[in-house]
Amino acid sequence: MRLWREFYGLNVNATAGATARDYFSLFQLEPGFSVDEAALERAYHSLLSQFHPDRYAGKAQFEQRVAAQFCADINSGYRVLSDEVLRAEYLLTRAGVNLAKAEREGVGAAFLMTQIMLRERLEEMSPSDGQAREALTEEIRGYYQASCGEFAAAAGKVAWSEAARHWQEMCFLSKLLDDARPRSY
Amino acid sequence: MVLLQIAEPGAPTEVQGERQIGVGIDLGTTNSLIAHFDGTDVRVLKDESGQASLPSVVYYGAKGTVVGAAAETYASSEPANTIASAKRMLGRARAEFEDDPYVTLAEGEGLAFNTDAGNKTPVEVSSAILNELKLRAEPQLTGPIAGAVITVPAYFDDAQRQATRQAAELAGVKVLRLLNEPTAAAVAYGLDEHAEESSLLAVYDLGGGTFDISLLRMRAGLFEVLATGGDSALGGDDFDRALAAYLMEQVALDAPSPVQRRIALTLAREAKEALSEVESVSVDVSALSARSEQIKVSRSTLDGLLAPFIERTLSACRMTLEDAGVKTVDRVVLVGGSTRTPAVRQAVATCFDREPLCSLDPDQVVAMGAARQADILVGNRQGDEALLLDVIPLSLGLETYGGLVERIIDRNSTIPVARAQEFTTARDGQTGLVVNVVQGERERVEDCRSLAHFELTGIPPMVAGAARIEVTFRVDADGILEVSAVEQQTGARSEIVVKPAFGLDEGQITEMLKAGYEHASEDMLARKIGEARVEAEALLAGLQAALAADGDLLSAEETTELQRDMTALETVMKKSQPDEIRAATDVLGRASEAFAARRMDRSIQAALQGVSLTDLESAEVEENTP
Repeated sequence: MRLWREFYGLNVNATAGATARDYFSLFQLEPGFSVDEAALERAYHSLLSQFHPDRYAGKAQFEQRVAAQFCADINSGYRVLSDEVLRAEYLLTRAGVNLAKAEREGVGAAFLMTQIMLRERLEEMSPSDGQAREALTEEIRGYYQASCGEFAAAAGKVAWSEAARHWQEMCFLSKLLDDARPRSY
Repeated sequence: MVLLQIAEPGAPTEVQGERQIGVGIDLGTTNSLIAHFDGTDVRVLKDESGQASLPSVVYYGAKGTVVGAAAETYASSEPANTIASAKRMLGRARAEFEDDPYVTLAEGEGLAFNTDAGNKTPVEVSSAILNELKLRAEPQLTGPIAGAVITVPAYFDDAQRQATRQAAELAGVKVLRLLNEPTAAAVAYGLDEHAEESSLLAVYDLGGGTFDISLLRMRAGLFEVLATGGDSALGGDDFDRALAAYLMEQVALDAPSPVQRRIALTLAREAKEALSEVESVSVDVSALSARSEQIKVSRSTLDGLLAPFIERTLSACRMTLEDAGVKTVDRVVLVGGSTRTPAVRQAVATCFDREPLCSLDPDQVVAMGAARQADILVGNRQGDEALLLDVIPLSLGLETYGGLVERIIDRNSTIPVARAQEFTTARDGQTGLVVNVVQGERERVEDCRSLAHFELTGIPPMVAGAARIEVTFRVDADGILEVSAVEQQTGARSEIVVKPAFGLDEGQITEMLKAGYEHASEDMLARKIGEARVEAEALLAGLQAALAADGDLLSAEETTELQRDMTALETVMKKSQPDEIRAATDVLGRASEAFAARRMDRSIQAALQGVSLTDLESAEVEENTP
């Protein structure tokens, strides 16, 4: 008797289980891919400084429980909105896009080739070759930023299936960026 | 007490009435301390002989239970009855210590020490230390202790945190919050806590038995832990052991007895401490050797012995910096007695390219910060104090098909946190499943630590992949985990609060409390009734105030239901059954959760706009004025 996760791909249901609260309105931001980071940060801190469970440490237990639940929502919202990939995914979910279906449809052959080529180059690289890794990281970052721009454009004109494709590109590339990061351990 | 009282932004309110007493406790591996903040100063509370540090050593033997320096005197004569460094074993598995030559384990499955006074678990030993600190503090304070902030290494996992809470419960100490030690140290320094510019701080904490490195960001009253790392089995004790081994090697002592080991350790510790001040010492090893002998130990010999341990701390530092995506920090704070060792200071300064801060006593800084935070949490101030945002140290997930780990909550997530993930069944007709909750960073279950198992049953038979099971992980502000699983179509539900697999269960704790650790059983009952009534009264008063202020958020029907539950609680409160009072309080508490949530929603908009609630009310009045 073991669990078996359905194949959904990266960051499945990052927002499942949260309340129906809309994260953009929670943080009083315009819904969209581009987010005013300073405003997000300010709203996050303002909400936390009022609703953190420590503000209820001396109160009745159920009040602490409600505060903890609400605070968990605030933390989830902040995590999603402050990360480009999760934010893109959230916008898609919010627009009613079926992510599993989008993933089955894939990213297109051209991108797949680019991605495979980048990964091969990374794998051939010695982990200690800091300079080469840094150069490759820059190159991947260029692709990533391009995908972000394309996602934003598609989302702006409500072309969700196109946006979903660029979101998948962002997933691949951010994973690659993480793997390419020079590490001392 | 108002139900979900919303403090107005930027308006600190001085709480009415008597000042509550909160204490900060640093429950250390080698030494423990208790401190109190009286509104002006932090004071580390000393014992009658003027000692601030209580050695974390407990003796169980013919002389009864003895804690602290007095217990240490039995270390050489009765090593098995003298328990030191029990914190290393809090919430851990027996298997991890089977081969440890320094402890004598009791027979059986659990992890306990075999002493002349019976088997003692690490939780009981820690509880005896907490109790001793409480007894020391009470006569020096103006009233009873309302609550304590107890510090734990940031690296402590869920089971270790739970075990710490149990120890406190057993000692009759109410825990306001478990606070990560490095965060407490940062609070003690109170660095730039209200500066608008954010700054980065590294806290390097090398204690007797644990090493922690934490990166904190501070800005405008928020302390945010960005990343933590470290090693929960590395510290000054390792320094002592390395030097003790060196001494025994010098006198060709191949098979030392437990007594000789103890002596060697004591000699090593004294030599190590002396070498922080001077370049070289002579150690009298006559107790280890047949002939009377002096061994000369130089600082460079010691540095050589310590180098591998120090290097381990530095590599954890580099890892944590990388985790946080940070290259440099603005400040480094030193915590823990082992940071007095010159080689450690030099290595830290080189690693961070900064002279570390050490103006506060590295042994006391954690207790001092905890005392400050306890004063806030106990309710003496509201509104303007710094807020501490902690993260979980290790990822949490569950076992999926094929022994793989599916991560649900990543390490270094800010807590409290809740995250859900959907799963399905693997086989046709599967009607139940076992949820194995694991902790760790590895891909395979056997490389992670299993925290708990629970079963979800009652799933109707379906083809594989048709059931939709949502598993939710919640971690509270203390870092303690709760997991629930719900089958979405039938609503079949199962949940568990993860208990330390190696600690004590609720029943055992109640038993021990009943056995009269220090309270007679009538006292216990009176205390329980008192506590239950206070909680019930707080809830009733809060609800009444909330209904008066925001009664419009409820329908007439909902109001009637709530009032019915309130009357029920009032009736039960007159009885002397703590369990019944608690049950009725719980019913009412749950019944009013939706109301509380609606009140919270109402206040969010106001909070975000920086408008106080009073402003909002007066604005409404103006609108209504023709």
